Amino acid sequence: MEKPIVFKLFGLPFDLVGILGSTLIALAVFLLCKWLAAKVELRPNKRQNVIEYLLEFTDNIVNTNVADKDARKHLSLYAFVLFLFILFMNQLGLFLELKVGDNMLLKSPTADPVTTMTFAMMTLLLSFTFGVQKFGTRGYLQNYARPVALLLPINLIEELTNFLTLSLRLYGNIFAGEVLLTLIGNQLAPSLGIPTLIIAAPLAIVWQGFSVFIGSIQAYVFVTLSMVYIGKKVAKE
Amino acid sequence: MTFQLLFAAEAGKLYIANAIWYLLCFAILLIAVKHYAWGPVSEMLAKRQQRIVEDLDTAAENRKKAEMLANEREAALKRSRQDAMKVLSDANVTAQRTSETIVSEANNQASTIRQQAKADASQAKADALSSARDEVADISVAIAEKVIAKNLSADDQKALVDQFIKGLSD
Repeated sequence: MEKPIVFKLFGLPFDLVGILGSTLIALAVFLLCKWLAAKVELRPNKRQNVIEYLLEFTDNIVNTNVADKDARKHLSLYAFVLFLFILFMNQLGLFLELKVGDNMLLKSPTADPVTTMTFAMMTLLLSFTFGVQKFGTRGYLQNYARPVALLLPINLIEELTNFLTLSLRLYGNIFAGEVLLTLIGNQLAPSLGIPTLIIAAPLAIVWQGFSVFIGSIQAYVFVTLSMVYIGKKVAKE
Repeated sequence: MTFQLLFAAEAGKLYIANAIWYLLCFAILLIAVKHYAWGPVSEMLAKRQQRIVEDLDTAAENRKKAEMLANEREAALKRSRQDAMKVLSDANVTAQRTSETIVSEANNQASTIRQQAKADASQAKADALSSARDEVADISVAIAEKVIAKNLSADDQKALVDQFIKGLSD
């Protein structure tokens, strides 16, 4: 296991890997979006087509899972940014892993449960907000006892499990991908000299390709489930 | 404020404080993307959608209008064709009638002319006959005067000739 670089700010320990990675990806996503939407016209140009396709893709996720029209407009932006952010964070560790000595400097921020839990918590809080906005605090709390009061404990536990499954699924997938990639590169390749090196190279390529696929799927799944949870909160049962 | 790098920190430990940075990062990204990319693009999408709806509406309206115009034109064409047909048949009928009147008039005229000619001929015949009768009478009188040198009155002569001719024609 690589050692993280940690610094303390306001007495709180921060992990530099996640901060560097997320900042880098945020910048990349912003610059990409800004570049794609540099010239927005009624007759779409090539770059505009790309960003419109992305927006329609995430809008589609929102519209199929959220029936409430008022929530859709806000969630459109949320889903769009969340999808791009997570997608790019998933891919970061595949082609770029920076190490300084024994210390990790750059890898996928989503291979850290804190990151995924942050986004899952954000989704959870958003779902509370939308639910309260729609039904009022009283109505929202009463929704936990629906359709029958018997389901109250299950509904409460569901909030926790939703949060955990949402975050740990993403974390597990990306973390496992990186661990396997590191294993192939660091353990398998140098184990028996040149023969294993030759075997490890295509294996690493194949696994990297598969990880790109997994990273994209997981980003899609994360956004879709977020929308499902929020959609459930604003729907009348 | 303490800022210190803790190298060689334990691996596998969770750094919960990172969440603050992630949230901040995401919030800033959300605002930036909304301002620079999502806002303009979704606005343009909505504008385009509205434009397409309007275009479709006007196209449907135009098509309806064109259809109406075509129908009108067709009806006018049909009407004018009918008018032409009527004019033509009217003309035919009048032409027939005129030709009939002309023919009948001509027939009438021809028959009157024929009758006139017949009457004229019989008149002429009668005239010729009477004048010949007179002349023959005169000639025969002259001949008779010369032959018998006896002066008969003209009336006596005439009666004589009449009697003679009557005898001839019987």
